[in-house]
This record gives sequence, structure tokens and C-alpha cells, in this order.
Amino acid sequence: MLDVFRTLNISASGLTAQRARLDVIASNIANAETTRSDEGGPYRRKTVVFREVYESAIHDAGYRNVRAQTDAMRGVEIAAIEADKRPFRWIYDPSHPDANEEGYVQMPNVNVLREMVDLINAQRSYEANVTALNATKSFVNAALQIGKGG
Amino acid sequence: MAQSMDPIGKIGSANPIQRVSRVGQTPRQAEKSEIEPDFMKILQQALEETNADQYEAERAADEFAAGRLSNIHDVLISAEKAAMSLRLTLEVRNKIVDAYREIMRMQL
Repeated sequence: MLDVFRTLNISASGLTAQRARLDVIASNIANAETTRSDEGGPYRRKTVVFREVYESAIHDAGYRNVRAQTDAMRGVEIAAIEADKRPFRWIYDPSHPDANEEGYVQMPNVNVLREMVDLINAQRSYEANVTALNATKSFVNAALQIGKGG
Repeated sequence: MAQSMDPIGKIGSANPIQRVSRVGQTPRQAEKSEIEPDFMKILQQALEETNADQYEAERAADEFAAGRLSNIHDVLISAEKAAMSLRLTLEVRNKIVDAYREIMRMQL
């Protein structure tokens, strides 16, 4: 396999990770007012946790060797999707079917504004990974120009 | 890939005519000369790898069309990999053909 394919795969892992993050943010926005969930109570905001991936066999074999380190790099993956432990919001709405005796409803701990910021963040990260990918492409194209027009 | 490109350098160096004449050999003839890794084999291997990349890209496109692959970027990256290895193989081939023509033009 070509060496540059590894670089492409690293960028691809970044793209995949950001896609998964987009799913989570979309779910948070979609469920911003969901009062019922499988675990009971309202929807709980989810967050993604990223983890670096590397081929530990190569990595450990020559830790001080730069080549071994870059060879071991595999990009990023989603380590987990964790629930946000912050408390739910209480809003007063006696007409809501899920309201308690005092007329208060427990709403998800999702702040749509915050989700929008995360969304922009995910979008920009995705674009950054595409830029890195395109840079890899131009590296290869530049390398193929060696010896041309000499 | 970097290693497999070395023989190109060799063509221009020590024994150009002998090296280039091997390009025209059939694989059976090539097996007889076990002195060095044969250029024919290297080129064939590179072509097979390129072919595998093409198949992979095609498979990714099929999977995507069938709805089994969820990420568009995976399809495009496979296609890009295929295009990249094809360009590289073509470049190597062009170099060989150039070298061959250069030798054929030689006044004896």
C-alpha cells in the first residue's frame, strides 16, 4: 500500500469521527424538547469523546524513531458517546401531559444555542480534515511533477 | 512503492540496453534471469496493486449505491486512492517508455 494512503486514512478517520459527532449534535437538537426517553425522564444531552488511534506494535517498537511514530498513526476514533450529567431544566407548563402535580415539566438538559456552536465546530473540523486530505493530494501531484519539463 | 521505483534509475545507469531489452521479455523468459528482481515483475506487481485499488473504489461506489456504506467521503477517498495509484503507475510506465525510446534513437 502506498505510504500516502495512510495519510488519507488518517484524514478519513477524522471525517468519520466528525460525521458521528454531527449525528450526536443532530440528535441533541432534535430532542431538545423531548420529555420521554428509554431510561425514563427527559432526553439527556449526549457528547462524543474522541481517542487517538495508533498501531501500538509499531509505536512501541521504535518510540524514538520518527518514522516508526508516523507509521503507527491511524488517526482518530470515537471512544464513547457519553451522557451529559448536568441537571434537567424545570419549566412551568401545567398543560403539558408530563407535568407533575405542581405543573412543572422536566425538560432535556440541551441548550440549542450551545448545540449550534458545536455544530459549527464540527462543520469546521470536517472542512479542516478535507483540507488536509486535499493537501495530501497536492503533495502527491507535486511529487509526480518531479522530472517533468526538465 | 519507493523501492519498486529504483530499477528506473538503474535503467539509465550501468547497462541500459540489457535492462531495457528485458521489458519486451515474456514472464517465462524473465524467470530464467534470477540475478535481480525483474523489472517486468515489479511493473506487474504495481499494476496489480493499482488494479486492486480500482476494484476497491468500484466496490465502495457499489456499496454506497446499495445504501450499505454510510459515508460519502469513504467512497470519494477510495476513488481518489485509485486515481492516485493509477497516476503513479502511469508515470512509472511513461518513464520506462521514454527510456526505451531514448535507447532506440541511439545511433549505432
